[in-house]
Order: sequence, then structure tokens, then C-alpha cells
Amino acid sequence: VNVTRRRVEIQRADELLAEHLDAPIERNGMPVERWVPVKLDDLPNAAQRLLENGARFVSIFIAGKPTRSLVAAFAFRGEIVALRAPLNGNAYPALSSLTRAAELPERELRDLGDVLPLREPALEPVLRPDANDFRRRVEGEEAFVIPYGPIRSGIFESIQYVIDTGGEDVLAIETRPFFKHRSLEQRFRGMSIGQGAALAARISGPASVAHAIAFAEAVEHAAGVDPPALVHAWRVVHAELERIAAHLDVATRLAEDAALSVGVARFGILKEEVMRLRASISGSRFARDAVVPGRVGVPSSLAAPDILAALRSFERDFAHDSKLLVETASFTDRLIGSGTLDRDTIDAYGGVGPVARACSVAVDARFERPYGAYRHLGLRIASADSGDAMARLVVRFEEVETSLHLLRQALRPRRRNHSGHGDLPSEVSGAAFGWAEAPMGEVVYWLELERGRIGRSHIVSPSLRNWPLFAASFRGDVLTDFSFIEHSFGLSPAGSDR
Amino acid sequence: MLGWVTRGLRRGIVTTRYPSSPEQAPFGFRGRVGFREGASSGGKDARAREDVCPTSAISAGNGLISLDRGRCVLCGACVDAYPELFQFEPEYETAARTRAALVVGDRHAAPEKAVQRSLAEQARGLKRSIHIRHVDAGSDGAEEWEIAALTNPYYDMQRLGLFFTLTPRHADVLLVTGAVTTSMAEPLRRAYEAMPFPKAVVAAGTDACSGGFAARMGDADHLQGVARVLPVDVYVPGSPPSPIALLHGLLLAAGIVTHEVVE
Repeated sequence: VNVTRRRVEIQRADELLAEHLDAPIERNGMPVERWVPVKLDDLPNAAQRLLENGARFVSIFIAGKPTRSLVAAFAFRGEIVALRAPLNGNAYPALSSLTRAAELPERELRDLGDVLPLREPALEPVLRPDANDFRRRVEGEEAFVIPYGPIRSGIFESIQYVIDTGGEDVLAIETRPFFKHRSLEQRFRGMSIGQGAALAARISGPASVAHAIAFAEAVEHAAGVDPPALVHAWRVVHAELERIAAHLDVATRLAEDAALSVGVARFGILKEEVMRLRASISGSRFARDAVVPGRVGVPSSLAAPDILAALRSFERDFAHDSKLLVETASFTDRLIGSGTLDRDTIDAYGGVGPVARACSVAVDARFERPYGAYRHLGLRIASADSGDAMARLVVRFEEVETSLHLLRQALRPRRRNHSGHGDLPSEVSGAAFGWAEAPMGEVVYWLELERGRIGRSHIVSPSLRNWPLFAASFRGDVLTDFSFIEHSFGLSPAGSDR
Repeated sequence: MLGWVTRGLRRGIVTTRYPSSPEQAPFGFRGRVGFREGASSGGKDARAREDVCPTSAISAGNGLISLDRGRCVLCGACVDAYPELFQFEPEYETAARTRAALVVGDRHAAPEKAVQRSLAEQARGLKRSIHIRHVDAGSDGAEEWEIAALTNPYYDMQRLGLFFTLTPRHADVLLVTGAVTTSMAEPLRRAYEAMPFPKAVVAAGTDACSGGFAARMGDADHLQGVARVLPVDVYVPGSPPSPIALLHGLLLAAGIVTHEVVE
């Protein structure tokens, strides 16, 4: 019996909602993967019923075991609900006609070529973008197109935005990710678990730890083991330092956009100090290979009291600088009212992370489906309600404080050291989801394991889920707001272009 | 505004003196993998040592084991499996002028010491400023963080006459990250062609040096590193390379474009 995760198999689709909608949500219980078999033709109906009842679309992908099937995953009332439809043909009715959240995943699925999502109008290709091939979205004499990217002005990752503009106002934006698609999901195939963990940590730099945790959680759940509390505690340390570094990166870039040079220098220093602390703890400025399935990857070179001392001095400086930043009017003027989103838009696109939390949508994998040490730690979800670039920054600053609080809890000496449940067998077989809250939102991994080797895998990146929201956030915003809005989203193309 | 001024002044100077004086990596820093002193690589299970590396950085020929740092992603699989042979070295200066210089055997130490000594002199002797254009051709995003860090007060690249430019037209050095994906090959080539002569190309990160994890066996054209698309002058391995490693690589490249290489 799997003690870390209840896995529920339901016989018929109607049973799911009949039985499940009335059941109370288990907040403190074990998070559940709920599997529902459906026929391929019934997939849209089942998905529709879930969406109507408030489920959030997570992703759609192909699973190989026990039979080759299409899996549509949803986050629903503190659980992952997976609709599984055996694939007998090579086409199915697309879910993107029900929810916009499914559009990019289904366009990707179409290009991978295993199965065709059918829709009117047909889904456009997305995986191999051509920098010179774009077209106008908006009709009219006065509108013209600015292709921005894939190589852009500054030290940025490659992505292309095709902007329809009348000169100053932004009429429409087409976000074109996948310029750096590296087919890394396919690279997992045949790898050992150790090699897979190393690859997972190298998919998206700003979210290295979150990817590694999601991978490790998936392996551990497939094996039915729960590592000792110490392992989980160090994962919290690495993950929260990563979150602080990423949020400081956003603050630095925003200060740079406002030409606030001392602000850039101050937040640059704070971020560098966090990166150096991470290097002193794990030997890597990105805590790479510090998180691996079943154990501590790299033992810390710093003792907990030393880390706590470093955090105390960081906290003082951060409190000063963040207060100064949000009180600098020339800076906040550029953020307030820029790139405003609302709850309904977040729900329509299945948005995650600080972008959703800035619209008072309380999505956070650490809280929704607690994993690892977050099952026991006290956590407050940071949120704001104005939904603009300023709200996203305020949420990030609040989250830095929450992270410091979590770090102090994780580094506290433990009275009772929970010794975990079971050792990771060398030849794990099985399949499971794993997840973690990255700085930009929730990362979900799906892994199939066969005697210690990885079979099929699927990575759900928060950046891919939030890209469409970036375009949707332009409501009367002009070209000069572009970089402020982009940086306030804090997304990573490497995450989506895995 | 006054608040910012006092915040800036109170902190004082944090900037490194590199390359005038060396920068020490913290204890346990995983800068690069090397051979343990006095380790001997018996040929018996050489094949097994090859297989332990997920990116084929270790190869065994004629009973000798060699390690290609241009392929190494610093995952530590070899150090875990064969601690008597491999070890992590807390080294920052990992850049090299040739691809071959990144391949080390267990019998000889890494070369290029002479070039490194001259770096400080070279940095002082820069007759003009060097402008750098960065292009991401498929990185994991970590390299961009480290490159952006070069302008923070800790590294302050500008003090050495190194500047980032927003256009290839003003660039002397092209700093490329990532394994070069299908969609990025053409934009990368065009950025290079738009640069005036003399120009140098720096491949930053293991992905840019060889493709790293993204490299696929049997695919000769894509995701095999920058050298398949452009002539590379300096290789900076690392996953990602540290800011000092990048600075090291950029100074080597600056030497090339100013024709002041001391060897």
C-alpha cells in the first residue's frame, strides 16, 4: 500500500462526479491522484463537467502503461484528477474548444505527431517556429506589426513576440515560445533515475530545484516510499532560496526597466548574496543535484546556524530595500495599473503562480496539494487583488518573507526526527505524478518507470501555462509598458521550451 | 531618492579585484571535475567508467581515461561512482581557447597557465572598450542569470572596459549560450554576420560547447553546440559557468579582438 499518496481508481466517469463532488476536501489528508477511465469520444464531456465544477486544466499527454492512452490532467479540489482514454485511433475531439488553457499543450501534442486533436479552426503548428514567418492579427490600414525577438535587446532568453500596434498602443500580441525547444522529454527515455534527476535539474535554471523536487516526488510516489524528514527539510531550504533568488531577479529587472540604477545595484547585490549562499550550501549556485530521489543529493557544507545567521543579515537588508522600492513613486508609477488581469481571465486560462495570486486566486501547490515538508509547515499564501504589475511585485515581496519564515522552520533543530518510510528500491517500476511550486508557479511531472529506467515522461511547466495570460494582460497598455509587464510575469522560456 | 543614495553609500565596495588578484571559490564549490592526484586509471573496468557519464564526457582508449570538460554537466555521477579517480575542484577559471584544451587525461595537468597569467596585464592594456552581444540559442536559462550577474556590483564588468550592447552592429564579441536549436540556428547566424570585423565568438556553458544533455546521438546538425554553426574562439564549460568563469572567457576573447594575445 502506498502510504504517501492514495491512488483511487474509479470505474465509470459518472461515478467521479457523483461520488466526489459531495465528498469533503481533505486538507490535511494525503493528496490523491484520481484516475478516471473514459472513452476517447467522451473525453470532452468529462472534461467539461470538471471545468464547470471549478477544475483547473493542467495538461494533456500520452501515457504508455498499461495501455497506450491519452491522459487529460486537472487540478480539482486538492487532487490531481486524470481522465484516461485508451487511444485506438489517431485523432480525438480537442479540449481547447472547451478551455483556452488546453491550446498550447494541444498544439504541442499535434506537432509531436502521435495523435491529432481535432478542432475548428484547426490548431496551428507551434514547435518549430520560424523567426521570419509571422502575420498580422489585427485588420486595418493603420495597424502594423513589430516582430520582437527571438533575439532581443538585453540579456534575455529567446522567445518571439509579434506585436500588432498602431504606433504606441498595443492592439494584439502573439506569444511564440518554442524557439529553444530541446526535446528533453524524449531524452528522459531509457535514463536511469540518477541521470533523470540530473537532467530534471537542468531543464530550467531559475526553477532547477522545483523541477528536481517534482521529479523526485514522482519517483518516490511510484515506488511508494517517503524519505526521512531531514531529506524533505533540505528540499525546503533549496526550494525557498531558489524562490527568493527568482523574486529578487524580477525586482532587479523591474528596477532596470525604470532606470533606477541604485535599485538595480541594491537588488543585484541581494540576489548575488543569495546565490553565493546557495553555492556555499550545495556547491552549486543553482543547487543543482542537491535534490535527488530518496536521499539528500549533496550534504550541506554550511551548518544550520550559519545559514540562519546569513538569512538574518539578508532579511534586514531586504526589508530596507523592498520598502524603499515600493515607496519610490517614479518606479511604482510604471507598475500600478500596468498589465492588469482579473480572476475570470486567470480561471479561463488556468493561470498559476504569483501571476494568479496577484488576482487573489489562491493557487499554490504547497498549499493545494502539500508535498514533502510542506505537509507539516505553517504556510500563508501571499496574495493581492489588483492584478496589475504592482500587485505581482507586492506578492513576490510578501513571498520572500514567507520563504524566510519557512526556511527558519526547516532549519530549526527537530525534536522528533521522522525516519521516513521505506528505502528507494534500485529497480523502481510504476507510474506517478509529482509536483512542486516553482517561483513562477506549479511544476508537474508525470513519469513511467520500468525496473529503474524511465519510460514516458511529461513535464507541465508554469511558464507555458502563463504565456497566454501575458498577451491577455494588455488592456490599453502601450509599447513602453511592455518590458515592465513582461518582467512582472517572471516567466522562463527554458521551462516551456523543455 | 535620498534613501537610495544612503543605501548605496552605506554598503561600501563589494567588487571583486579579479583578474588583478585571484578570486577564491567557496569550500565544496563544484567548479569542474578533475582527476585525483596520483589516481591511476586501470584499464579493467574502463568501459564501466565511460557508461557512468550521462553526457559521454568520459572516454577510455588505450587503457587511458580522458575527461571532456566541454561535455561535462557537473552532475557528479562519476565522482559518486569512482571517488578514488574523480573529484570536484573548486575552480572558477574554466575557459579555454580551443575545444581540445577542455579534454584532460589522468596523466597530465591542464595547460593554459601562461595565458591566464597574462590576463591581468591584458585587461589593463585594453586600448578601447569591448562590446558584447549575448544570444540565447537554447540555454536552460541559468546562463542568462550568470551573464546578467556580471553587471552587478560584485563583478562590475564595466570596470574592465567590457560592456553589453543591444545590437550586433556595435559588437566585438558574440556571447552564445545553449546547444543551438533548429529554430535558433538561423537567427544566430544572422547576428554573427551583422557584426563588424574583428569579432570573436564565446560559447558559454556546456550546452554551447557540446550540446550537453540536449545533444542527441545520431543527429549531426542540431543541438550539438555553437561550433556546428559558427567559428568558436573561446569555450567556457560549466552548467552553468560561474560569473568569474564567464569573465575569464570574455577576457580571453577581448585579447583576440584587440590582437594583444600574449602567449
